[in-house]
Amino acid sequence: MKKTKVVVVGLVALMLMLTGCGSSKETKDTSSETSGEVVWWGWTPGSPTNEKYIEAFNKEYPDIKVTWKQTSIDAYDAALKPALANGKGVEAFEVSAGSGNGGIQVFGGQAIDLTDAVKKALGDDYKDKLNEAAITTMTVNSQLKALGVGTVYSGNLWINQDLFDKYNVKIPTNLDEWKKACEIFEQNGINGFVQGAGQGAFNIDTFHAIADNVSPGNFTKATRGEVQWTDDSIVKALELWKGLFDDGIMQKGALGLQQYPEANNLFMSQKAAMVMMGSWYTSNALPDAMKSAIESAASTEEPFTMIPIQFPDIAGTGNTGSMFGDLDYSTAVSAKSSNIKAATTFAVWLGTSQSGQQIIADSLNVVPSLKSATPDWDNVKLVNPEKQNEPIKEYLNNAMNSGDNPRFAGINADMNQALMDVLAGVAGGTITPTNGAAQLAQTQADSE
Amino acid sequence: MEKNNKSRSTTMNGLPWILPAFVFVAGLIYYSIFYTFKLSTLDWNGLDPIQTSVGMSNYGKAFSDWIFWKAIKNTVVFFLITFLIQNFLGFIFAAILHSNVKLATLHKCLIFIPTILAPATMAPVFRLLFSPQGMLQDLSDTLHLGITVDWLAQPNAALYILMIVTIWQFTGMSFILYYAAMSQIDKEMLEASHLEGAGLFRTLWSIVLPNCKSTTVSLAMLGIIGSLKTFDVPYLITTGGPNHATEFLGTYIFRQGIRQSHLGYAAAISVLLLILAICGAILINRMNKGDEK
Repeated sequence: MKKTKVVVVGLVALMLMLTGCGSSKETKDTSSETSGEVVWWGWTPGSPTNEKYIEAFNKEYPDIKVTWKQTSIDAYDAALKPALANGKGVEAFEVSAGSGNGGIQVFGGQAIDLTDAVKKALGDDYKDKLNEAAITTMTVNSQLKALGVGTVYSGNLWINQDLFDKYNVKIPTNLDEWKKACEIFEQNGINGFVQGAGQGAFNIDTFHAIADNVSPGNFTKATRGEVQWTDDSIVKALELWKGLFDDGIMQKGALGLQQYPEANNLFMSQKAAMVMMGSWYTSNALPDAMKSAIESAASTEEPFTMIPIQFPDIAGTGNTGSMFGDLDYSTAVSAKSSNIKAATTFAVWLGTSQSGQQIIADSLNVVPSLKSATPDWDNVKLVNPEKQNEPIKEYLNNAMNSGDNPRFAGINADMNQALMDVLAGVAGGTITPTNGAAQLAQTQADSE
Repeated sequence: MEKNNKSRSTTMNGLPWILPAFVFVAGLIYYSIFYTFKLSTLDWNGLDPIQTSVGMSNYGKAFSDWIFWKAIKNTVVFFLITFLIQNFLGFIFAAILHSNVKLATLHKCLIFIPTILAPATMAPVFRLLFSPQGMLQDLSDTLHLGITVDWLAQPNAALYILMIVTIWQFTGMSFILYYAAMSQIDKEMLEASHLEGAGLFRTLWSIVLPNCKSTTVSLAMLGIIGSLKTFDVPYLITTGGPNHATEFLGTYIFRQGIRQSHLGYAAAISVLLLILAICGAILINRMNKGDEK
């Protein structure tokens, strides 16, 4: 009898312990709209840009202390999931559209509905004042789960204009010119084009650009099931993708390199003349951001003139200039936070206020969500304004007018992985373009 | 009757003593295992309040998933090669350092230091070493060898790079265990073999190695479990690529559970990993017992 009691006591203790581990206590909001402590989790844009945002925010809300907590892109989901489940130490957190890190479909369930807060800030016609994607892609089950800070676009290359001038290289507009440019740089001990093809998300960008070059819009249609992945244009795009590796455009060992930090560092340390990066890279045209990026690349070089160019017409179709994008990051407020009001103030300020969005616009990191906020070019000083101002203005203008061509928003996690696998396999020669296309079609069918 | 009461009394007195440990072990280990098994029957992203029960279908999915089998194959190849080379080197180093070697302590430290270095600190060094912009490429260029060091990008070569890193790191562990085991060998036995005219290699093969058998078995067991749990080195150096060429069960569990938010499927692979680890340990143990008989 006594033995039974002891066992029962033990099991009860075990149950209590396990219950304690798994319970989720209701947290009380101890903050107000003007005071509190906010821990803001994210992966981008990083120092020193985030600190500038916080500094500007604190000019208006000095009693809300915001602490920026950054993880790498790859580690974000792994770090955030347990933190959100635990409910402590996360007040505001970045989310993204689609299948990238911090996907809203996965993390939206942990966020509060911000509709009322936005209405209060911008009025009932808030949808007219914000970028459409900032609303549509962040709405889950009719609830606005996050406020878009800004949009990023991809589809272009960035080049080191100083290196092109130094070696008298023509800016490539087609496959032959691209090969020639890479060849000249190689002869001078510099990588022509660099891509961290070991980090799959950036491969999807390059492939999307190629697919749009072959047949504009077919990539997006394929993600929506309107065109088969086995369509000739997709197979052709895969062949051209493979050609980048075979023709010496991709640097040697590209599949073993990461885009961040390695490819980025090669470009920033002027050891590579071209890189496939999107509009988020524009902030590196600012002297402070570029100095910081160069130092991070362990280089002592001076800031240089980088400008965006269109993806070369490697298919020979004349279809160039395609850009695709979606919200880079949005700010959500944790439903379990004990500083919900303060965190909401911060998220609303960053995503909808003129002052918050103006600093976003001037940082050139993303294209702001608030339509009335555009970069103040009198205030924004680039490394080489004479050569950079016009191309970058035109580039951002093209990006904003790119239309319905999402980057990752239409790709679910399984398709994202399949695309990365197929692109790596085709590049490495272990998958043929035809088989790769069939593999994509199969994954799409399975995930539906 | 009196005897039985005494026995019961002893049992009851002992139970409270083991209760804290029982609660701790049951709570932290077995609860986690059972919870993982429960998760493996769900289709769940890890955060969503809705959890869909899918029975055992996650297990069926694993058996028809080529990446799962690729991870198993990589694990087997990885274990066999690293186990053989690592223990061969560890054994030889231990034997050498049992002879009169100058600066023996320094050599022991040099061999053992890689074992205590965190993979997270060494991974960037190896990424750089085996990068086309790295030290080996510079060496190749300087010596005009004409070799392109892009092995991390080659599906057939990347796994062997990971093996090199692992062997470099854990040979020290094999060395230290063999060194300790060799210290226990009866010196008279070695002298007797010497008097019988056995040479160095004969002595190592016929006397030293059999006497280190329990160490070899322990290292094999640790090697199997370690290979099944391999995560940090492939994740940090190749992230399982290119195209899953260096995928291991650990990296695949992480990919499925975190990146793709298929927590149920990841849990199913975790349960399979646990079963494989237990089977591996039992197999090695039985082989050892069979040999002892």
